[in-house]
This record gives sequence, structure tokens and C-alpha cells, in this order.
Amino acid sequence: MKRLTLTLLIAAALTPMSAVLADDLGDLKAEIAQMRAEYEQRIQQLEQRLTQAENTTNDVREEVAIVKSTPIPITHSNNSFNPAISMVLNGQFSSYSNPTGNYTLNGFSMQNGAGLATEGLSLGESEITLSASIDQLLFGQMTIALADDGAGVEEAFIETQGLDNGLTVRAGRFYSPIGYLNERHVHVWNFADAPLIYRGLFGDQMATDGLKLSYILPTDQLVEIGGTIGSGNQYPSNGSHSGIGDWLVFAKTGGDIGISHSWQASVAHWQSSPKDRSIGDMNLPSPVTFNGDTDISNLSLIYKWAPNGNPTQQNLTLLGEYFYSHDTGTLNNIPTTAIYNGKQYGGYVEGMYQFMPRWRAGMRYDRLSSSINASNVGLLNAANLDLTSFHPQRYSLMLEWLPSNFSRLRVQINEDKSSRNNDTQLFLQYTVNIGAHGAHSY
Amino acid sequence: MKKIITSLLLFVATSPVMAEVNIFACEPEWAALSQELGGDKVTVFSATNGLQDPHYIQARPSLIAKARRADLLVCTGAELEVGWLPLLQRKSSNSAIQAGSPGYFMASNYVRLSDMPTSLDRSQGHVHAAGNPHIQTSPLNIMQIAKALSQRLQELDSDNADFYQQRGDDFTQRWQAAITKWQQQAAPLKDAAIVVQHDSWRYLFDWLGLKKVAVLEEKPGVPPSVDYLNRILTQLKTTPANIVIHAAYQSTRASDWLVKKSSITSVSLPFTVGGNKQSQDLFGLFDDTIKRLLKANK
Repeated sequence: MKRLTLTLLIAAALTPMSAVLADDLGDLKAEIAQMRAEYEQRIQQLEQRLTQAENTTNDVREEVAIVKSTPIPITHSNNSFNPAISMVLNGQFSSYSNPTGNYTLNGFSMQNGAGLATEGLSLGESEITLSASIDQLLFGQMTIALADDGAGVEEAFIETQGLDNGLTVRAGRFYSPIGYLNERHVHVWNFADAPLIYRGLFGDQMATDGLKLSYILPTDQLVEIGGTIGSGNQYPSNGSHSGIGDWLVFAKTGGDIGISHSWQASVAHWQSSPKDRSIGDMNLPSPVTFNGDTDISNLSLIYKWAPNGNPTQQNLTLLGEYFYSHDTGTLNNIPTTAIYNGKQYGGYVEGMYQFMPRWRAGMRYDRLSSSINASNVGLLNAANLDLTSFHPQRYSLMLEWLPSNFSRLRVQINEDKSSRNNDTQLFLQYTVNIGAHGAHSY
Repeated sequence: MKKIITSLLLFVATSPVMAEVNIFACEPEWAALSQELGGDKVTVFSATNGLQDPHYIQARPSLIAKARRADLLVCTGAELEVGWLPLLQRKSSNSAIQAGSPGYFMASNYVRLSDMPTSLDRSQGHVHAAGNPHIQTSPLNIMQIAKALSQRLQELDSDNADFYQQRGDDFTQRWQAAITKWQQQAAPLKDAAIVVQHDSWRYLFDWLGLKKVAVLEEKPGVPPSVDYLNRILTQLKTTPANIVIHAAYQSTRASDWLVKKSSITSVSLPFTVGGNKQSQDLFGLFDDTIKRLLKANK
């Protein structure tokens, strides 16, 4: 606008007749003023149209959002109809300062293939888990473990989902709800090997073939009570039973303390009447057997810390468990028999600290005791059961690197005093998870 | 005796039936929305707070106890809670909140998800097969979800349907007005070049027309390597950005590094309700988000 006025003024000034045509200048001024008014009106109109256009855009944007967000009737489940499949692969390198064949756990029997992992490079246990909702009422899951000595069904169960009122029924084979680690698969344990007490009492882990019933109380604090009945054919139960071979009751409780701390405590009691269960040294030509009653009690405590409840940067887990096992009955090694009373007890404490994302370090301490009596000591000697009050102990350190949610590399060192021959052990291990997203259980 | 029994029976019969709808919200934004829509007819529990990463939560005992008594589950869905919600549902032994029940409300079912991956492979990091689940970062999404959730409340607690309807209408009105206000405020942010820590703000960027220049996580859920960060630095020389943003709960290591190496401004955004002091409700969340972005963009 200014420029236009200027040009016109210059033009006017340069006009040779400027001096004489003063009247014309006045006309020119009026004309310019009129032009300015017209332009301003036009600009105003343009501005108005622009605002209108902007408003329309906003309206359209909102409409688009509405059109886009018409409900899509999809229920996202892990895998539409096929079962969710997840596979765990693991391998390790183990090194021992003592010959592995000489390994014993003083005062305890080792069965179920328990003991040290194969020396040198070995393929650990690989696992395949399939799970899915069966229908509106049931959920099913099966875990098959593949190891060098063949395949085995670790778990295979069906379970009610949302039976209501806090009740859940499970049937099939499942890890017994005794102890915190016992209910979890080996690959989610915090160390490469089982706690000594698990090795000594269960042959690493105890399963039940049977039924489980559990009930969650309608309280603000979690209180879960329940029990299982089983066939009694899984170690440390033994022999065929016409009806119920073992039973268990348990109770769990837990909660949060503020937003950064959480805990869980559980107790459990298991009973069985084993028939002809081998006891002591398994490698004897005719092992000593036990008939009678076995009961095992457990207490476990777990505490977790994560700043603001956000474990991704740093977190701490403390876990401790104690088991007490009592056998009463008779020992047999044909033709000899004896009255037997054996107590085996002990536990472990462990702490894991994630000091920065992807890195965890941990410590564990194991300690066991036993008190074994028989009316005929000769039978205990025959079974190679140590009668001296030696306490097996073990110290472990581990360091883990987790490149992602689905993989883990671990190095672990043990100072193992399971028997009088101290053993220094080293494990290097990888564990990966392929397929369906694993559940973050507590 | 008879009298006592009769009066007891009468008492039981006339005592108010289930006073409130028990809502279990997986994330604080849905807890806030449920409270807006349900008022005093609902009790709301949030499974996570604004400083937690909803990907990585464990099915803690306290969560199982709450889920067992819930009437309505309000979660994001789209696999955001895949690591813990299915387990929680199963452990809760509560038929009301199982998938497909009226008490199972997944917000992501009511909006169009972006970033649907073209190929699914874990070598690409923690990818979400259903699309980007961080839907609460756009108020347009929240508007849609509010409508659906209000409807769900009306179905679930039909005695109070009118109440929910009225509260829903009221919220929609206030929310619409707020959206218009935010859009005006955020006008200067249009086409602002921004680096993000994790692809958490996809929907906010779409809504306000912001430009994502780079993502600090090389792959979703995997912390970046120095090598990768150096590449971003080189990239920023040709396509400069003013701002790098991260959620309050995310590690600031990568963005701190970038701030040290360039002239970029780092901004911590609340990401959800309770993500910082200013974001105590849904309105505060967007007020604060836009305020922080405007300040950094100067």
C-alpha cells in the first residue's frame, strides 16, 4: 500500500505540470484514499475467509476422528484361535573342581535325576508351552520339557477361568503350591541350579497329578487358601495308591507397602504315605526302601522393591524359604527291616539387585540339616546316609545381562559344601524365550 | 424369634443393592476418565501410577485382590498389558472381568490405532502387533473412549443410566471446549521438529501436527547404543530439531546425552494423569503437556 502511494507520489512529483495542476493533485489524493479503503476491505474479507477455512479444518479433523473411531468389534487375544505357543531354549557350560560322580548331599537322598548339571558344554532343558482358553469356563496349558534323556510332561492342566466368588479349580499335572520357587518353571529361577533343599527333598521340583482348589477371600489384602489332592506317584511320594496318595494345604497373603514396596508370604503343608521309596544312595544294586508317612512343611517370604513401583531402572528382590520334612516308618533291605525316624530341614535366602537397566546381580546362601535315626544303624550305613551332624552349605554369586525382555545371559559361581569335599563351581548359561509373551508373575 | 427373623429378612431385602460399581483401571488415565464419568456411583482403583511403565508390571498380590472384587476392567488393551493383565484376570477368579464380559472394557477397541507393524519379528524390538497402544496422548481419542465407556457404565449399572448419561454429556461438552482451546494454544507448535525417547506420543503428534524427527530408542523397548545416538546427532545436523521429549517415568540418560552434545532442549512430559504435579486430572494433563511444549519451543 505504502509503496503504491509512494510510486504515485513520485510519479506526480515528476510530472512537469505538477505546479500548475494542483487541482488534479487533490483528485489524485482522493483516488488514492479510495483505493486504500478498497484494499483494506478486501484484506478484511480475505482474513474472514481464512478464519472460516481454519474452523472448517478443525471441524473436519474432529469428524475424521469420529469416523476413524467407530468401534471395531475385536477382542485382542494372544493368538486368535490357536493356542499361544512359547518356547524356552537354554544351554550352559558347567565346570566343577571335583569329579561330578562323587557329588553327594549329606543326610539327603537325591532322586528324580537331581544332582549336578553335566560337566562342560551341555544343552539344558528346552521347554515348549502351549496355552489357550478352552471355552468360556476353562483354560488349558501344557509344558513339555525336552532334555538329552528324552521328553517329559512338566505340566498339563486345565483350570477354570472366572468361576466366580474367587474360586479356582485346576486338574491335571501341575507344580505343587509348596514354596515360592516350586510353582515356577526352572527358567524363571534366579540361579542356574536349584536351592539345595529343593534338590534334597524333591529332586529339584515337586509336581502333583491331581486336583487343586483355591479360594481368594474378598478382602483388600490378598488372602488365598487352598489345597491339592494327588495320585501319590510323584516323588517324594511313591508307589501306587488306590485312592488319594498325597494331599496339601496352603495359604498365601501379600500386599503393598506404599508404592515402592511389595511382599508375599505363604505357608504350606504336604503329606503322603510313600510305598517302597528308595532312600539314600540310589546307585546301590538293591537300594534301601522306606515305607511309612512323610510330611513336609514350608514357609516362604518374598519382598520386592522398585522406586515408585517402576522396576525398569532399578529393583531389588529378597527371597527366603524354609522346609521341614519328617519321615516315620520302616526301612527295608530284604531281609532286614528297621524302624525309621528321619528329619531333614533347611532353606535358602537370596537377593537379586538390578543396579541398572538390563543388568542384575544376585547372592544366595543355602543351609541344610538332618537328624536321622533307625533301630538298625546297619541299614543307614547300607544306604550310605551320613549320620554325623554335618550341615551342607553353599554360597552362590551370579550376574545377568538381559539384552531384551526375551533373552538372558548368566554367569554364576558356587562355593558348594554339600559334603565334606568342597567344590567350586562355575556356570555360564543362556536362556531365551520365543513366541508368546511370557507372563510377569510376582 | 419369628419377629426377629422377619425383621432380619426385611433388613436384608431392603438394604441397598451394590452401592457402587467397582472399577479396576489399568492406567491412571482410565482411572481419571472413569471417575469423570462415574462420579460418586463408582469406586476407582488404578493398577499403575503415572511414574510406572505400563508395559512392565507384575501381577502383584495387591492387584490380584483388587481384580477379584472388580465389576469393570478399564484398560488400554492392544497388548500394552499383555505381560500381566491376562494372568491377573485368570488369578482373580472373577467372571465379571474375563475377556468378552460386559465388565471387560478395552479402550483401544474404540479408536483407530496407528503404526500397525507390517511385519512381526522380535528382532525389531518390543513391537505391538495391534498397533501403537499409547492412545491417551490425543484428546480426540479420549473423547471417543469417553462415549463408549459412558455407554458401558449405563449398560452395567442400568439403575443409574440417566446419571451416567448426564455426566457423559457434561464431560463431552467440557472436553470439546477444552480441545478447541488446546488447538488454539498449540497453533505455534505446528510442524515443530521433535525427537522422542520412545514412540509414546504418536497420537499427540498427529493431533497437533508435530513432526517426529527421530526416536532415541533404536528399537522399541531397547536402550540405544552410543553408536546409534551418534547417528541421530549427525542426522540432526541436516534435519534440526528444537526439542527432545521423554515421559516422566523414562530414563533421561539418552536425552541428557543429546542435550550435552547439541543445542536441543529436553522436555519431560507427564504422559499420563499423575505423571507430574500439574497433571492431576485429564484436563491438567493436556494443559501441562501443551504448556511445556510451548515453553520449550520458544
